[in-house]
Amino acid sequence: MKIALFIPCLVNQMMPEVAVATLSVLEKLGHEVIYPEGQTCCGQPMTNSGCFDEAKSTTLKLLNAFKGVECDAIVCPAASCLVAAKENFHEFDDSAEAQSVINKLYELTEFLHDVCPIASFKKPLDFTISLQLSCHGIRMLNLASPSESMGTKFNKVEAVLQPIEKLNIVYPDPVDECCGFGGTFAVDEGAVSAKMGKDKAQAHAATKALYVVGFDPSCLLHLDGMIRRQLLPIQTRHIAQILDAAL
Amino acid sequence: MYSSNNHAKNARIFCQDEGRVDWHSKALWNLRAKRDKAAASIPEWEALRQAGSQIKLHTLSNLSHYLQMFEKQCVANGIHVHWAKDASEHNKIALDILAKHQVKKLVKSKSMLTEECHLNPFLEQHGIEVIDTDLGERIIQLNNQPPSHIVVPAIHMKKEEVGDLFHEKLHTPKGESDPTRLTRAARQHLRDQFLSADAAMTGVNMAVASEGAVVVCTNEGNADMGVNLPALQLHSMGIDKIVPDHDSAIVLLRMLARNAIGQPITTYSSFYRGSKINGEMHIIIVDNGRTEIMKDKILAESLKCIRCGGCLNTCPVYRRSGGFSYNYTIPGPIGIAVGAQHDDSNTIPWACTLCGSCTYVCPTKVPLDKIIAHHRRLKAQAGKLPFGKKHYMPLVGKLMSSPTMLNCAMSSARVALKIIPHSIIKPFSGAWGQYRELPVSPKSSFDTWYKQHTAAKKEAK
Amino acid sequence: MSSREQILQALAQSSIDIEMPQADLSAFKSPATDTNTLLARFGESVTTVAGNLVDATGEQAIIIEQHINDLMANNNQVLSLVEGVSGNQQMPDSPHELQHIDYAILPAKFGVAENGAVWINTQMLNRHDTQAHRALPFICENLIIVLDKQNIIATMHQAPELMSLANDDFGVFISGPSKTADIEQALVVGAHGACTLTIYLV
Repeated sequence: MKIALFIPCLVNQMMPEVAVATLSVLEKLGHEVIYPEGQTCCGQPMTNSGCFDEAKSTTLKLLNAFKGVECDAIVCPAASCLVAAKENFHEFDDSAEAQSVINKLYELTEFLHDVCPIASFKKPLDFTISLQLSCHGIRMLNLASPSESMGTKFNKVEAVLQPIEKLNIVYPDPVDECCGFGGTFAVDEGAVSAKMGKDKAQAHAATKALYVVGFDPSCLLHLDGMIRRQLLPIQTRHIAQILDAAL
Repeated sequence: MYSSNNHAKNARIFCQDEGRVDWHSKALWNLRAKRDKAAASIPEWEALRQAGSQIKLHTLSNLSHYLQMFEKQCVANGIHVHWAKDASEHNKIALDILAKHQVKKLVKSKSMLTEECHLNPFLEQHGIEVIDTDLGERIIQLNNQPPSHIVVPAIHMKKEEVGDLFHEKLHTPKGESDPTRLTRAARQHLRDQFLSADAAMTGVNMAVASEGAVVVCTNEGNADMGVNLPALQLHSMGIDKIVPDHDSAIVLLRMLARNAIGQPITTYSSFYRGSKINGEMHIIIVDNGRTEIMKDKILAESLKCIRCGGCLNTCPVYRRSGGFSYNYTIPGPIGIAVGAQHDDSNTIPWACTLCGSCTYVCPTKVPLDKIIAHHRRLKAQAGKLPFGKKHYMPLVGKLMSSPTMLNCAMSSARVALKIIPHSIIKPFSGAWGQYRELPVSPKSSFDTWYKQHTAAKKEAK
Repeated sequence: MSSREQILQALAQSSIDIEMPQADLSAFKSPATDTNTLLARFGESVTTVAGNLVDATGEQAIIIEQHINDLMANNNQVLSLVEGVSGNQQMPDSPHELQHIDYAILPAKFGVAENGAVWINTQMLNRHDTQAHRALPFICENLIIVLDKQNIIATMHQAPELMSLANDDFGVFISGPSKTADIEQALVVGAHGACTLTIYLV
């Protein structure tokens, strides 16, 4: 498949290794990967604060970066940004061209589960990971059934990682409580955000896993800051990095 | 820009006692865990939620019709029906009825509506003694506090604190903090109140239009003890409490206690369809801003709420900031949804990470996270943004929309992170660095890496 | 304009005046389960809500009578509204006088297997005594319910057709004894209503 990378600003600027791993995974799987120029922020920090006017210009620039790009799918290694991009593109541009971009948008795990599953892994990974089931991914992208829901249980994240030989997958308790990042919430409500992050970091560390693995870089950045402040014996990794190591 | 009563500030104070935060959070999480177990025991749970949502939407979209049907049936059953457009009219109606019957003492069972209307202080000003009879409500009434939760109103108090309070007010032995013995003391104390009350007042869980009946649910039996002793009974209800018929009421009743505290049903679920022998029954139907909420399509769905409190129990922010941080009678996600327009601190819509857990917990599928996000938009449109957002958001918008500016800013930030010791940066990086370590700075952005990488690849070819 | 008219008029302008169909609840009215399954489920539910269930089938008169006689022999004030079971107290003029009742024995119209609740309404209370006070099931210290085991339904959805309030002013589902967990979430049985609830299945 021909895939266009959508690399959110946070990943581009602060966690480039996540983008590098995403590119590597997709190339190893035999896809042709392009990285369209001129990508800006999806507008989430503004729209999540209610500031739609302020979000319009950056959202439309990001949308323009993908308009007319020839590809089968647009893949993003950040669930929350992906959800915001979908919603905001729709909010500010109701054209058919915008809709065709929206229709091609996939979060990485979603893409690897629903569209192009991984046939086989090459290398075993002999360690334990604790999965970070971030809120927007599970509740807005259906990457896993949330613990509140009594419907059919599913977990696409685990399904994608599960075939990796020797990899042990565990979960924090509670399994999918919010980590407390929440965009500007992390600074607006610093005390509560920090307490949530601390509790989440400790819950992950209590599993004795080597890594906290997630699909949402912003949550991982927040957890990483909490883990290092608490001096907890665990590190954060993006799911792309784990997959890349196993391919 | 915002009043001193802002959520973030209140929450910060609550968070200073970390042991208490953990205790509070765990107590509420236990309720969530019990709810999960009770919900899981009903195979058709998700279908019930769907039906609950449909019943509420159908009723709200035909509310005028059902309110009039309810009124007609009530009148046929000999019930007196009153209409109040706001809190002050509600309070005046209640006072008039009580005064007419020379009521000196009123026993009340839990009603968030009368809390919303601030009925107690109003009646007390007019010489009527008001006794809240739910144990939790009585505890906070004796402690001069509002409820901190809509189902377990005294959840913020430790048993030792209740023990001290009861020692002072009810003369229990000093140091007694055993919940069973404290409850027994309250039973005795409140039994005397029930027997000497001149009138009783309750809230309403559901009002059945086809029957002209109100449904009142309690675990303690306090509503029924109150209502069935004195001759006069009053029930206050918001216009949103109507359901078409018994079948609809049953759907909500099956979920209410399970979702609230994991119990299969409340101990007492009473259907009052008329007064007792030689008694008098009054129902006050209250608007108090609800028709205004219904003008906004997104906010209107908040009126589907049946006040189970499930969204409070699951909310990671409520559990760690406490019920008193919200600047409104009703805290937590539903409190934000129905209270944000009254919040002059303009901060409660931001007391939320938009994690969406509440929306999935809700038995009537109130889209709480969407409503909360919508409140933020309404505040922004009204020029009432908190935390200086009004000033910095346009700048962020500009910065984020310009790859060049963003690159410039971020590369200097990366350099700063690398060359300046963290102890110096921390104070300047605000709330992030106060609680967390700053990110480890990468060498370059992905953009830069990608350009070098593709250039290198070309060269290799 | 009266407040009533103002409210109704404001509703005419509300944004959700779209026609929403009445929900179809027929799927929930599950087919009848056999009596033994219902009885077992009812028993589990009664235990869950801290009630007691006594199977008095067949020997109804003997078991209940023995129990009641024992209670009265121990100086308990017993008021029965169940036909064929006599206590030692009559219905007083005022509900307040019921405060001394140690045991009230009442007939229930039906029980619900999924939650252990029994339905009592004024019709049931007045069967035996036309001046029964509605306060009785709540104010008595201990509540004893007599329920025909044929009258147990699977879920609440089957209740509406049995709980008609057509000639009634009041009805209540009672599930277990009164309880509270308002002090530190510790469950305490016996809040304001009855401290124990025993159901005799006949």
